[in-house]
Amino acid sequence: MHTSDSEDFESADEGHGSPEKKERKKRLSSSNYSDNALETAQQPQEPKSSSTSVKNVAKETDGWDDFDIDDNEPIAPPPSKANVPDKKLEVEQKQSNVKADQKSQDTGWDDFDDWGQDDATSTQKTEPPKPQAKPQPAQPDPNIKEVTDRLAAASTGGSGGWGWGWSVDSLLSTATAGISNITSQVSQGISTVLETGIGAPDPEELARSSLRANEAKAKAPAPINTAEDVTVQGGATEGPPGPGNAGDAAFPFGSLFSGVSKFVETTGTKVISGGLDTLETIGKKTMEVLQDGDPGLAKKRALLGLGAGDKPVLSQVLREAKAKADEDDRVREEKREAKEVHYENLFDDFEGLVHLEALEMLSKQVSMRIEERMRSVDADKRQDIKETLQQVAELCEMPEEEEDDHEAPSEGVSKADAFHERLQAATQDLGLKLQFQPLVKQYTDILAYISSTEDTAVRAIYKRAVSGLAHSTALSVQQYHKAAEMLLVKPRRSTADEADALTQMTVVLTKHISELATLFTEKLNALPSDNQEQVNTYITNIFLEAGNSSTYIQNAFQLALPILQIGAV
Amino acid sequence: MAYAYLFKYIIIGDTGVGKSCLLLQFTDKRFQPVHDLTIGVEFGARMITIDGKQIKLQIWDTAGQEAFRSITRSYYRGAAGALLVYDITRRDTFNHLTTWLEDARQHSNSNMVIMLIGNKSDLESRREVKKEEGEAFAREHGLVFMETSAKTAANVEEAFINTAKEIYEKIQEGVFDINNEANGIKIGPQHSTAGGASGAGGAGAGGAAGGGCC
Repeated sequence: MHTSDSEDFESADEGHGSPEKKERKKRLSSSNYSDNALETAQQPQEPKSSSTSVKNVAKETDGWDDFDIDDNEPIAPPPSKANVPDKKLEVEQKQSNVKADQKSQDTGWDDFDDWGQDDATSTQKTEPPKPQAKPQPAQPDPNIKEVTDRLAAASTGGSGGWGWGWSVDSLLSTATAGISNITSQVSQGISTVLETGIGAPDPEELARSSLRANEAKAKAPAPINTAEDVTVQGGATEGPPGPGNAGDAAFPFGSLFSGVSKFVETTGTKVISGGLDTLETIGKKTMEVLQDGDPGLAKKRALLGLGAGDKPVLSQVLREAKAKADEDDRVREEKREAKEVHYENLFDDFEGLVHLEALEMLSKQVSMRIEERMRSVDADKRQDIKETLQQVAELCEMPEEEEDDHEAPSEGVSKADAFHERLQAATQDLGLKLQFQPLVKQYTDILAYISSTEDTAVRAIYKRAVSGLAHSTALSVQQYHKAAEMLLVKPRRSTADEADALTQMTVVLTKHISELATLFTEKLNALPSDNQEQVNTYITNIFLEAGNSSTYIQNAFQLALPILQIGAV
Repeated sequence: MAYAYLFKYIIIGDTGVGKSCLLLQFTDKRFQPVHDLTIGVEFGARMITIDGKQIKLQIWDTAGQEAFRSITRSYYRGAAGALLVYDITRRDTFNHLTTWLEDARQHSNSNMVIMLIGNKSDLESRREVKKEEGEAFAREHGLVFMETSAKTAANVEEAFINTAKEIYEKIQEGVFDINNEANGIKIGPQHSTAGGASGAGGAGAGGAAGGGCC
């Protein structure tokens, strides 16, 4: 198991297609995907690859070979015939990487892997191989070219949108501060890469695919290939991973692979190779910088007393990155949901806000007219007016304790009809023809919903409750607005009656709101739920929004007050 | 719904010229030959796109009856656009335009975009007001002019949308102070148009990149 740990780092060195490695790869390749096709595809470039590394190989056979990743391993799921272009793409990517890495490969990975075994020999002495060691193969198609360009840009440390966010300088200075610092920086880098780079799937999609992946894993052995591919890609020497979890559990990089396998599921070759390449690039760069003037990291290792310690740190980093992605996913989903059941938004959608706004405009205008009238009269009359205004305001005070004469609806009268009757009874002295049908219809709909057994999802009921409350409130506010408009054009006013009627209407409407809230919460309570805490939260929210609704209704009533008052002065 | 701007419109004009029908045609794409008399003001809303931006038109459809005049006047305030409607088959509705216009200019902000609309263009045989007369009136008072039919939907979209474009241009020119809601323009809740991940003050540390990568 230990060896496999260390090998995970080595996905870096592609392009060292030495014969031994090939053989090794064959030993290693645990899955049955068809390398052969790929190998043939790479055949023409093999010699060149080796030629670039010949010098190195001669000196550091132990270094490279041990860690060598099989360049020819397909990174992605078993290539089918249809996948051939993908393979081509991979090859391209690797080539470009190799080119970019030539500069750093000698100083970087070897030493990192066999800590201090051959510090002396492997210090940065090798010149970059001839730039043209690997001529580009036939002109790649535009898509591929784009990818390779991007990869190349990333590998050379250009800020080509790949999340190579920190400068080498800053890294260098941080490096002296200690590796733990760096790893935290790397972690940020990685999470940035994971999130922003490589066109990775968004977390939601990722979560969904992970579900799918898990199901698939559970169902058939076939999809395991994906996981295996990744494992092999990581350079594991262990045998074929057991049905998924054996490998996961024992493997410190389990989180990497589970994370990575999701990537594979979703975006396939491009993403995974791109993602790993980027990680490699980051790792290489980091090592390069770290070893600047400290070959083999001997000093730093001594300083920190580090053994194999930082490998688990990398896995930790990746775990954190994954956790962070999950967290972001959750937060985003919550925000979306919150918007969906946002009371104020719904109230606005039901035109509650605009009616309130219009009512407010009327109210202000009428208040101004009252003030004007008061200014235009002498002091005695002004006092009279003030008293009248005060009286009307008192008439409009809500009764403290409504005598609960909830005349139980007589037999044969539906609750909705009873509600309609109450509204009409309350407002009969208003002398206006208010249209209560929308309110009654909405109530009828809610009653039907409450008695139906279709929706049993707590969340759905909660949503319906909030929207129902917002709708009722909007329709209620509309009543005050309409009443105010009609009162203003009413030829003969009888302020006392009007004030009383609107007060009664307010009582009926606020009671209606609390009844709706009760209906919904009872429905929620009646449901068997495995998450009582969530249900309680919903119930609290429903009562909160009901309070909100009552406030809106009473505000509308208060806005209507000047319209009542002006009829009396 | 997320929008970049909200424009408040008012529709004014004599009773029976088809104000509510124009609104219904614009918001619901249907025509209702018999319409209840509007009391005070009714509302309609529709989302349109100008220059790639989502704009919510919130339309205040006022009552045309004389009795409601004092009420509807209080609604003029804070409108960014007005549709002043007359009926091409009733000359008196055209003759009242001056009064309507004075009212509108007096009770609304001076930058309000006013579109003059000669409605019922489908009733050509009963036409009493020539198109040229409408054009002349519009020219004289600096209005945009259009003949529409709420029944056939001819020019209805254009009337509302052209008004919105004019308002939008004024915003671009800096004529409207979009931060002053008395101008009838509100800036929408700050939702990014894509993804729907709301900013929330950049709470997501490290930048929860929506879809803006590469």
